[in-house]
Amino acid sequence: MVVMGVVLLTLSGCASQMVSIRTVPDQTPAADNAAAAASAAAFAEAEAAESANQSSTEVQGQETAPQLTPADAPPMYTYDPWERFNRFAYRFNARFDEAIFLPAANIYRRAPHPVRDGAHNFFGNIAEIDSVINYTLQWRLKYGLRSIERFAINSTIGIGGLIDVATKLKLPGTPTGFATTLAKWGMHPGPYLVIPLLGPSTLRDGVGFLADYGAEYGINIFGLYRGGLSWGLGTINAVDQRANIDFRYHSSGSPFEYETIRFLYVRKRLIEDAGLHPKDRPKQLPADAPAGK
Amino acid sequence: MPAKVPLSEINIALPWRLPVPEILWFDAKLRVWLSAQEKPAPLAIVISGTGNDGNTKTISVLRAALYGAGYHVLTVPSPTFPGFIVSTSSTGVAGDLMQDGHDLYAAMQEIIANLPRKVRITDIDVLGYSLGGANAAVVKSIDATEGKLKIHRVVMINPPVSLFSSVGRLDRLFAASIGPGDQAVELLYRRLYAQIANLYRASDRLELDNNFLLGAGAATLKTDAEFSAAIALAYRLQLVDMFFIGDLYAKTGVAVDPEHPPKVSDSLEAIERDLRAKPFADYFTRVFAPYYLGRRPDATSASLIAANRLDIIADALRSDGDYYAQTNSNDLILNKRELAWLQVTLGSRIVVYDHGGHLGEIGERRQLADMLDMLAGRWPRNTQ
Repeated sequence: MVVMGVVLLTLSGCASQMVSIRTVPDQTPAADNAAAAASAAAFAEAEAAESANQSSTEVQGQETAPQLTPADAPPMYTYDPWERFNRFAYRFNARFDEAIFLPAANIYRRAPHPVRDGAHNFFGNIAEIDSVINYTLQWRLKYGLRSIERFAINSTIGIGGLIDVATKLKLPGTPTGFATTLAKWGMHPGPYLVIPLLGPSTLRDGVGFLADYGAEYGINIFGLYRGGLSWGLGTINAVDQRANIDFRYHSSGSPFEYETIRFLYVRKRLIEDAGLHPKDRPKQLPADAPAGK
Repeated sequence: MPAKVPLSEINIALPWRLPVPEILWFDAKLRVWLSAQEKPAPLAIVISGTGNDGNTKTISVLRAALYGAGYHVLTVPSPTFPGFIVSTSSTGVAGDLMQDGHDLYAAMQEIIANLPRKVRITDIDVLGYSLGGANAAVVKSIDATEGKLKIHRVVMINPPVSLFSSVGRLDRLFAASIGPGDQAVELLYRRLYAQIANLYRASDRLELDNNFLLGAGAATLKTDAEFSAAIALAYRLQLVDMFFIGDLYAKTGVAVDPEHPPKVSDSLEAIERDLRAKPFADYFTRVFAPYYLGRRPDATSASLIAANRLDIIADALRSDGDYYAQTNSNDLILNKRELAWLQVTLGSRIVVYDHGGHLGEIGERRQLADMLDMLAGRWPRNTQ
């Protein structure tokens, strides 16, 4: 009931205003500069490691991962058999975002840092269970073990997951899910899919997301997935995730945003899939098959 | 630089807005950003560069410096940004210096009139980078006649002198580095894709995030030719939006059938591919010129081009001591003659840095310090 009231209030408020002024998160110039410098350094380090790696394996005579060539890139056109539905979902998501999700995320961002970090860490900790399951299914036991360690440390020393002690102990979080498991098992992404409320995805990833939720619901860690409390927690989790995603529908202002996002998302997924099978030759698809088919 | 800069987003529906086409429903309001001081302070309005919205990384750097120096800061999109064209332009056909200047000026008045009363403004200055610099100067010249905002000083950062010759240069860059038609765009994309995929596969990373993409992109574009290709492509993609919207509003029928405009559920992929191959010269001859020639009885194509040079406000630039500029000696949107013209016209009120290319000096200590001195009337320094 309360939720309906809030929804109606926000929707009506938006419709009547000629001018709306909304506070958004502060710009933090020093932090931004530091972050940019850090990521540039990290990338340079990774690049150096990669070239050192390549030269050392060449010296040892081992076969390096086969390199992709421009001919291996998928064509410019993207496979989108469900385009009408997807366009509708994109529009729906955009309106939902502006009317409800973003205002909620902005209110959430005004909560003090420790509260927001605590919530974020809490939900991240619960998700570690799903990561353990999936890393095991992907046979990447090193990461699965790290997820177990993270969960153990953060649930105990980190007081029920509120504090992310594990990252400070050089065990950074790397969540995974059923979508990546299916990819590792070789399942093709399938058609582009814009999931209502969630956004751009593919059929495989959509199935993966449902499976993740199903697993978490089934395991029901700490009994949190049942009862009235679960709705409140689920909402805060959703708002927390939205507040941490740096995307805004139609911020490009471009009439071609749907095409552009589809183009970038599908190719990103294909590159990530290629990364999951680093030792394989890329599949030779017929020359006219659009990306994602 | 301040540690934190407060930020508010303002969305405003402007009273003179043309009817919004269904497929551009999301651009119905103008979106600008305000950082207000607690006490009375001068307001610095910053106009974004070609095709950009009012909250780019570049404008954020300028905003932080200006806020740290005690200004209220209002950042606005470029008149060539699709969101501006739909929500604010009185014609829908972007690119005319005077027309865009009038639309910007009207929008500024409307925004300032709607600011919360606690934002107390003592003075107004306008800045802009790239095309925004030229827009800023034109806005002040309009204000000199109309006097509604009493704009004090203007700083143009890396402005063009002749819009169409700068854009022509970009078209030639595109043709030289990428080639004609969409085939060439596809080749560049394939090269980038393969490079990024290989880097990603070789790395230890589990996720393809923005930082990786930026790093991989930078690593891939190593040669001057590849870098130029990327720049040319970026500008071409912005042109595609402007071309589409102009064609739609002007009903010139190039990419869109004026009798049957696309509906919100239609695919626009074919139209986008078609427009991607068209240079700015096409936009001018098939949309811009037909539209404005139809409305300005004495105009010719040549006069339209001439009207898009900073020459049209040359007297003001020369004699009014409140116009300033910063640029770089190797800025690719200026040729030697245009740079010389700026220096002769502005005299001591221009500083030319010896490197940086286009926009490369923005955020450097020297550029920010000079910009703040210019705005505060402390320029040139040695005569103080």
